[in-house]
Amino acid sequence: MGKIIKTFVLILLLIIPFSVQAYASDTTKINDLIENALSLDGKNVTIQGEAIGESFERGEYSWVNVNDGTNIIGIWMKTDDAQKITYYGNYKNKGDTLRISGIFRRSCSEHGGELDIHSDTVVITNTGSYVPEHISDIKIIAAVFLSMLSGFVVWLYLKMKK
Amino acid sequence: MKITNKAVSSIEIIIYYTGYIILGMASLMLIPILTSLLLAEWSPLLDFITSMSITMLVGCSMVLLGKRTHQRSANIQWKHGFVAAALSWLLLTFLCAIPYLLSGHTNSYLDACFDVMSGFTTTGLSLTQDLDHLSVGLNMWRHILTFIGGQGMVVLALSFMAKGTSGAYKFYVGEAKDIELVPNVKGTARIIWKISLVYLIIGTLALWIDGIMIGLKPLSAFFHALFIFFSSWSTGGFAPMSNNIMYYHSLSYETVTLVIFILGSLNFGLHYAIWKGNRNELIKNIETQSFLVTSFLACVLALFGLSKLNVYPDAVSAFRRIIYNVLSAHTTTGFGSIYARQFALEWGDFGIFIMIIVMLIGGSACSTAGGFKGLRVGIVFKGLLRDVKKILSSERNMRVFKYHHIKDNILSDEIICSSSIIIICYIVLFSTGTLLGVYYGYPLASSAFESASVTGNVGLSIGVTAPTMPAFLKIYYILAMYMGRLEFLSIFTLIGYAMGGIKKLWVKS
Repeated sequence: MGKIIKTFVLILLLIIPFSVQAYASDTTKINDLIENALSLDGKNVTIQGEAIGESFERGEYSWVNVNDGTNIIGIWMKTDDAQKITYYGNYKNKGDTLRISGIFRRSCSEHGGELDIHSDTVVITNTGSYVPEHISDIKIIAAVFLSMLSGFVVWLYLKMKK
Repeated sequence: MKITNKAVSSIEIIIYYTGYIILGMASLMLIPILTSLLLAEWSPLLDFITSMSITMLVGCSMVLLGKRTHQRSANIQWKHGFVAAALSWLLLTFLCAIPYLLSGHTNSYLDACFDVMSGFTTTGLSLTQDLDHLSVGLNMWRHILTFIGGQGMVVLALSFMAKGTSGAYKFYVGEAKDIELVPNVKGTARIIWKISLVYLIIGTLALWIDGIMIGLKPLSAFFHALFIFFSSWSTGGFAPMSNNIMYYHSLSYETVTLVIFILGSLNFGLHYAIWKGNRNELIKNIETQSFLVTSFLACVLALFGLSKLNVYPDAVSAFRRIIYNVLSAHTTTGFGSIYARQFALEWGDFGIFIMIIVMLIGGSACSTAGGFKGLRVGIVFKGLLRDVKKILSSERNMRVFKYHHIKDNILSDEIICSSSIIIICYIVLFSTGTLLGVYYGYPLASSAFESASVTGNVGLSIGVTAPTMPAFLKIYYILAMYMGRLEFLSIFTLIGYAMGGIKKLWVKS
């Protein structure tokens, strides 16, 4: 019995790390959705990517743009789901990573022919964060030195104009 | 300061005025500097301080080198105007690309130059990476470049010149703006800016209000409104986010941009005539007639072609995805309400062919639009009608043919010939680009679509333009955008002038 339990635990230990990879691979890349839009039209798909910009609230539903690194797609989701998103990607922030399952439309009649996904489930798999700026000393020195040099040349130019 | 008696050379004149234009653009970097400062974007702030300093250094050095032009009030010839205009566009492409490069959002300096030329020429194709995480400061710079490029950098410099320059018109024509709204060129340049600024206020306000209504936060809505106005009015096509106009998911936002970019594609002379109360000009002008006919035909044909393929389910979809893209292409704006690859995968050869034609025709002369222009299409078409009428009528019947563009003009052989030459130049540029695309392995339809887009300064892409595309194709596209925008003559003059200089050096040695 002990051997069986040990074997079972070992198998579990081996399977769990790989199960994470399998979790990611069942998603479809946005570029693949666009390339295969005709065959995937009306099908249930799952994508994973970063929420970017900001949400566009339209009453009970909202638009959220998601970027998976290959492209961006508009997700039509419940406003309640959109409100759970803490960070949207921009210059200062890395947006929340969302895993979205829903119906893919090549040319959605509800939204003026847009290529979109109407979400069924939205899961935040990774919360975004503030991304601090890293400014190198060289950048500061170069800016100060060049601005002083250009200041001198501008002075010469103004002197010439007189 | 010591002034030598030696006559001012052409090089000194060209260097002086090119430097002056560079200084004008350098001062514009204050806008992204202030934006970065207000939004506490410190890294872009330093990037712009560095870039502005380098640009000022180059500009001031050039002005100092050519200072005798100012001191001796040198006589400006046509070649000076044309070469200075072409040279300043080229040099500014290298200088204005510095903030892109320092931001780390481009893979190479070539990609940065590609984006700047795309902005200046109001094309709108982009190789900048990860637009969604771009600073507001750099986004401001991208959109300012397209706005200034649309009105003209030389026009900008002329507007702020302390004293009117006797040869200013020669610089102005060098930038493919050959309309005289008032007898004084400086006054004309200022009117162009006044028109643009009035629309800037109205358009930005409309987009700002609409942006808030569709769900953007007020501050963000303001920046989006400003950037999208810059792009629409200049028929540019840049947008602050990767998915271009699709980011907003809004019919109303698309409609406002549609109105702005159609207005932007009209001749400044037409805007001025309407502003002065001459509303009939809108109906009588050969360019508006030409634009109405070609855009109507293109929209109808595209609607028929795509409805045959069942691409879009209903009329609203057809308006938002077909009419919008056709008009965006025709006005050479380049806002895309569908993904680049959807043109290739869903529109079929018929749809692509229509897009290529409208992209090549473009908007109005002396506007912010590209392409070989409705005016030239109208003139050549009327010229053809004239020749047919001449053959059919009696040889003794001497009739003067005219066309209406701001005023009645005689349809002379000379004007028909010069219009035809420019159209032929565009077609050669387009064909070469298509050939090059096919050589690098892209499908013919895709190569032709992308080539038409760069030649006509449109900015719509079918998927060819990417950071991974061959470097030589990038360089060709940069040159095609540049030549298409300046309408060849300035660039040919610059090349001729450079060749002449080389020849002189060769003979001396």
